[in-house]
Amino acid sequence: MSQVSKLSFVDGKLGAPTSGQQTTRVLFNTIEAPGTTSSLTFFRSFQGLTNGQTNLTQNKLDSMESMVIKTIWLAQYATDGSLVDFGGFGFPQQTVSIIVGNQTVVKNLPIHFNQGQNGQAFDRLHENAGVRNQSLFASANIQNVMPCEIRLLTDIVIPAQVAFEVRVDSNSGVYGTGAVVCALAGYGKIFSAGNSF
Amino acid sequence: MHVANKLGLTSLKDMQASTGAVYDVDTELSGTIFSQATRHANPSVTNINENQFEVNEALLVETIAFYVKNATGEVENFQNIYGSNAVIVFDLIIGNKRTMKDTPVFASGSPFVFANTANFTATSGEINYQSFLPRHQVFMEGAGILIPPQVQWYVQYTIYNVVTGAIIAPTDATALGCYLFGTKVNLNFNTSI
Repeated sequence: MSQVSKLSFVDGKLGAPTSGQQTTRVLFNTIEAPGTTSSLTFFRSFQGLTNGQTNLTQNKLDSMESMVIKTIWLAQYATDGSLVDFGGFGFPQQTVSIIVGNQTVVKNLPIHFNQGQNGQAFDRLHENAGVRNQSLFASANIQNVMPCEIRLLTDIVIPAQVAFEVRVDSNSGVYGTGAVVCALAGYGKIFSAGNSF
Repeated sequence: MHVANKLGLTSLKDMQASTGAVYDVDTELSGTIFSQATRHANPSVTNINENQFEVNEALLVETIAFYVKNATGEVENFQNIYGSNAVIVFDLIIGNKRTMKDTPVFASGSPFVFANTANFTATSGEINYQSFLPRHQVFMEGAGILIPPQVQWYVQYTIYNVVTGAIIAPTDATALGCYLFGTKVNLNFNTSI
């Protein structure tokens, strides 16, 4: 089932309107200076974040909006703006879970295979995620790693007005004093006034 | 064709199906791309005369990409110029409708896209090191977006520092460019002339 069909199917089951503008949706949320912790929760706090740090104001989509999660994307930045290993140097073992409403739709999916020089990404597209130039001194303008991205095999739907969050678990991951960012991307529908107004 | 039929564009199906891309650079640093294309040199800055297609021409947008054009006209990698912590947050507006909403494009390499391993010269004349030059694209997931004939479109954007949340202002040397790529319909006179 394609992303378009899956979203129509779920929206139909929920009795949600299907007349919105079809688009590609990327939701993102930032946690500033997370420090060392065993658990990060994205899309829970929006306080103090600018439009460059999140594109939501609450942890649910607006009425008449819905989307399919096809990709999970995670990045960690140092205070100088350089992209660094997610979870600290050496890519410690971490898992990601996505909770939509009361349901855990992605449960403890390991992410460390999808980044770092020894990573073997789940898919065959991420060759570059498994490369790291040790001799290169990274800065904001010289990037020697890539963000972590996992392409899901199934289409996970976030319906309208249902709370969701993304949780990353580790054993004392070192997330630093810069920022960590999580993005969820896929096909979506956004509110469209259409003929109603 | 579904959208074209909805819009009453009955002759679009007789036109030449093709592949096309339109591009432009915000040399005015106004926060919009394509809206001022009419004033830009063609093809060094843009390949359109105005930000709407002629009668019976249309573009189904399947990829949106961003790049930097420096003061001497060279195309640069967004990450290499703005830094990994930059993020473009953009809308694609067609007519009166916002068809892409608050969409982020991360300098460090957005979802859907990967990187080239590129040589970076740390100091002129010294050893080249390999760094990543990420791509800054959005591949339309599931459904493309149609720009119909004779409807104006533009991209509205702001660049932020994702770590601090502060706005980053482009300069003449770091103007942001954008291309829209996809299935194109070109005007075809075969049936009428």
